Amino acid sequence: MSASNPYIPIPVQISKIINEVDTNDIKTFRFTFLNKEDEKKFKYLPGQFAELSIYGKGESPIGIASSPTNSGYVEFTVQRAGTIVPGLVTSALHDLDEGAQIGLRGPLGNSWPIEYLTKKNIVVVGGGFAFTTLRSLINYMLHKDNRARFGEITVIYGARTPGLLLYKDELAAWEKRKDIKSIITVDKGDESWRGREGFVPAVCKDVAPSPKNAVAVICGPPIMIKFTLPVFFELSFSQENILTSLEMRMKCGIGKCGRCNVGSKYVCTDGPIFSLADLDGLPRDF
Amino acid sequence: MLKKTAINKISELAAVLMEKGTLIAPVKEVSGHNFAQILDPQKVDLDFYNTIMSPKSAFFPHKEDFINYKVGKPISEAEPVVLNLKPMFLFGVRPCDVKSFQIMDIHFNAAGIIDPYWRQRREATTIFGYAFDLSKSVDSADFYNTLGIYAADPDGSDIFMVKKDNELLLKGITLQGKKLLSELTTIENGKAADKKYFEEYIKKGRDYKTRFMCLDQETITKKLEDIFHNTDFWTRVSSACLSCGVCTFVCPTCYCFDICDDTQFGRGTRRRVWDACMFTDFTLEASGHNPRTQVYQRLRQKINHKYSYHVRKYGVISCVGCGRCTRYCPVSIDIYSIIEEAIKT
Repeated sequence: MSASNPYIPIPVQISKIINEVDTNDIKTFRFTFLNKEDEKKFKYLPGQFAELSIYGKGESPIGIASSPTNSGYVEFTVQRAGTIVPGLVTSALHDLDEGAQIGLRGPLGNSWPIEYLTKKNIVVVGGGFAFTTLRSLINYMLHKDNRARFGEITVIYGARTPGLLLYKDELAAWEKRKDIKSIITVDKGDESWRGREGFVPAVCKDVAPSPKNAVAVICGPPIMIKFTLPVFFELSFSQENILTSLEMRMKCGIGKCGRCNVGSKYVCTDGPIFSLADLDGLPRDF
Repeated sequence: MLKKTAINKISELAAVLMEKGTLIAPVKEVSGHNFAQILDPQKVDLDFYNTIMSPKSAFFPHKEDFINYKVGKPISEAEPVVLNLKPMFLFGVRPCDVKSFQIMDIHFNAAGIIDPYWRQRREATTIFGYAFDLSKSVDSADFYNTLGIYAADPDGSDIFMVKKDNELLLKGITLQGKKLLSELTTIENGKAADKKYFEEYIKKGRDYKTRFMCLDQETITKKLEDIFHNTDFWTRVSSACLSCGVCTFVCPTCYCFDICDDTQFGRGTRRRVWDACMFTDFTLEASGHNPRTQVYQRLRQKINHKYSYHVRKYGVISCVGCGRCTRYCPVSIDIYSIIEEAIKT
């Protein structure tokens, strides 16, 4: 956002568009900054989000999918909304080509608690499209300057079909690395799928990550979260050591418009990252 | 410093203030009084109980333009709207409404990221508080005593005004108010008897009783947390609610807003407009999920926001007991009674 006014976006340009899934409704947009000064000021950590801004359509809060270790650009993986409510911004964005300019306000919100995660074993659990800020965190931890700061990294990531898995090249690269244990699963494979089949909660139970000095970082559709949490409770993960990222409808992203509160917390400024212990003290109003 | 002017000469004072900047004062409209920018000094009318709309729009207008843009043009050509404010005089604000500015200041002008529009408007403004007329009866909806506010409370005003028969006494409260008052050379200085009257009026204001209950901030906050999942209670108290949002629009401390793009013929403006947590699409997400589809959930949100969440976040109840939400609710929902019942539940 602009230095003097948090409601005014900064200009960015689409430098690359990656079609992530075979249903063509999820794309990763790579943006470069039009002003070098804006790029310097856009300092973020994994887990944060920004408002993507298209004049005439509006703004959408989207998690940052790139890692701060990727310099010179910032990436967002965006699903075209509109099956239930009109997704004006995401639809307009999907219709844009490389070279187009849009606005950006951010970085916004808190981040995955990097300090807290340091020296711990990290279990990353993701489902479907909700893998974007987890990808940011994984790439951040895997970076050569950071890898030694973290213990074992286990990733359990599932999608409904192989064609719906995001970041396929990176998933393949992680499987070859020795410093990350990567378990990719799909609900139902196709003829060419050689990997694991099964729902994320069942796979978590099967993998049974140790809670010792470990933090579980879990993002996914509500149904996945619902069945995954009991697995981690059974594995004796404490509420403090299970983290997730909340979604609520947002407008301003800076804690002023009164829209995204859960109890006394604003998801945009107090979140979006919360531990289950944090959420325990809040009303179930999300 | 205390000065005075005849109430039938208020237009002369208005004219002086209009020369110095922008004057916002109560005017008589078809259905009652409201604050408006004064273009004709004769229009200022202090013969009112309280305005229909709260004076929050002086700092938080119903519409605030952020940026003008052209569709299809480079984003760098979009032009942020610059306020260029003249000194602003907000004239005739009742003590409970003055208090609301202090509550809103925490949200917009102190905590977290500062809202540049609220801050600029607030800093440009001198507030002329105006005591309730103690000779008239109190409106049955008001309950500002419950929130520790009195009818002639000068706290938060730069200049505070009380009515003395056919005269208006004006006293400088803050440095800014005292300075402005000293510059108003066309009105006469008050006499010793006026000073005495003013001080006694402030004291008498404490005996001018609105509805009152003993409300401990921590107790009500905790209570509302405890009964959050008491669906029977919330369904009962919200059963008549139409979700019309009137309570939020007339409220001096409701600040929820929407940001929307208004485009016509290729040109447009991104602006914020007032919004209301009483509307069903307020929390509707792109996925179709909506955490507050039911009326009771939305009324619960509004009351919790004012009497619980705001206390947890900012340490203060976000209500001044002005009574507007009760007065203008088309189905007579009374927040005071709901709080009273909640405590007993």
